[in-house]
Amino acid sequence: MRNGPGTADLQRWSEEVARDPGSPSFLPLAEAYRRMGKTQAALRLCLRGLERCPGSVDGHLLLARIYLELGERERAADEWAITARLDPDNFDAHRGLGFFHLERGEYASAGRHLERAALVRPGDPAVQEALAVLRRHLARSGAASQTAATANGSEAPVPPPPEARNGAGSSAPAAAAGRAETAAQPGATTQPPAAAAERGEEVAQPPAPPAAAESVETAPQAAAAAQPAAGAATKAERSPAEAAKVPGAGGRDPARVFEPLSREAPFLGALLLDGRGLILAGSVRAGGTTRSEALGAAVGPAAEEAARTAALLSIGRWRGILIETDRALLHVSPLEEDLLLLVATECGTPVGWVLRTAERAAELARRFLAEGVV
Amino acid sequence: MSDTVASTLDRLSHVPGVRSAMIVDAEAGVPVASELGTGASATAVAALTASLFRRTDEAVRQAALGGLGSFQLETEDGHLVVAGRRELIVVVVADRDAQLGLIRLEVDRAVEALQ
Repeated sequence: MRNGPGTADLQRWSEEVARDPGSPSFLPLAEAYRRMGKTQAALRLCLRGLERCPGSVDGHLLLARIYLELGERERAADEWAITARLDPDNFDAHRGLGFFHLERGEYASAGRHLERAALVRPGDPAVQEALAVLRRHLARSGAASQTAATANGSEAPVPPPPEARNGAGSSAPAAAAGRAETAAQPGATTQPPAAAAERGEEVAQPPAPPAAAESVETAPQAAAAAQPAAGAATKAERSPAEAAKVPGAGGRDPARVFEPLSREAPFLGALLLDGRGLILAGSVRAGGTTRSEALGAAVGPAAEEAARTAALLSIGRWRGILIETDRALLHVSPLEEDLLLLVATECGTPVGWVLRTAERAAELARRFLAEGVV
Repeated sequence: MSDTVASTLDRLSHVPGVRSAMIVDAEAGVPVASELGTGASATAVAALTASLFRRTDEAVRQAALGGLGSFQLETEDGHLVVAGRRELIVVVVADRDAQLGLIRLEVDRAVEALQ
């Protein structure tokens, strides 16, 4: 019985990678580091290896797995998407993407990838279970919720995938997310469990028993309430109707919340956004045109990317982003829970003024939110 | 490393409060030159910041706001300043209480020098 690579293997791979970072040895070496818990070292090796070998399917799959372990789901999904482009019938990529979209409440995409995974490997129980959950939910939510979701420009909320639901009762969201990620890891089921266990490697969690899945599926909001800080899962579970409750409903025009700031010349507008980039209040005009929707759509991904970068660079949680473009100066800051505040000013506005204005806009936004609390 | 890149990097890394300074190939996400503080990996920082810069650039272009000039991230423990116009971007990681005005000025100069 072999318990993984020996010192001689590691030394040989290290030497080969040192000579040529694109050597095929970057894969077993990165995998060995990952198993030893040296995730950052594994990440570096993988990134460097893929710079030289961007067509390596196994490299992208391993990178996806590393990102999952780092809690970087969107990046993991990027890697699965690349894998699926390189190898359109790759089971692991479609399964990973299927669970990723399911967890985010993106039904259509989830269904597409899960169906594809099921075609490649018809007997996979996790995929079958996820498809069953998806079908049951679609049937149950019916036309009303679909219509509401379409009207809001997004897909309807969805219960988390079976793996995520295994952790629904946990008071530690990160731990629950970790379990979900382990189960969704493409590499985790590519080898026979016994062989994997023999090497001391983690094995995919089995899907939740139908009874457990059913009980949580009927109460996604309760599951969300059990994990108030569950990040992406909480975002996905908040329905458009709930999101609509967030802003002040006291009869004020949400678009005019930041109007007190508009008397100052460089101010182009401000937006209060939810975690999905949907506008809760405010507006931005530039060059005589309303830019609110486009900015709302742009800011969310930029903030997510910034948060990921800050975490991976170990420089603490992000507090604000200043973006200078050819036509505007934007400041983005986190407000409450997953809300974002964007302030837009004219290009060339003094940065200190922008930061002060952002603070004043935050006060107006908080006042607006407080008015909406019944 | 060309003289311009070397002198630009040297100047940046000597600004008070600067922990790390790098010149990064924006498209490839690889470091061209770097002066890194302890614990940082040039490859990882280059890959991450180049990705951040590219994605933000795409996003602001889609919002019809023109091209991205610079991106400044404020965090609990410091600042990340990324700026550039062409293939090369300048990346600076600075202490939380660093003189940002001076750093931004030097970053702008660096971007000009690399044009």
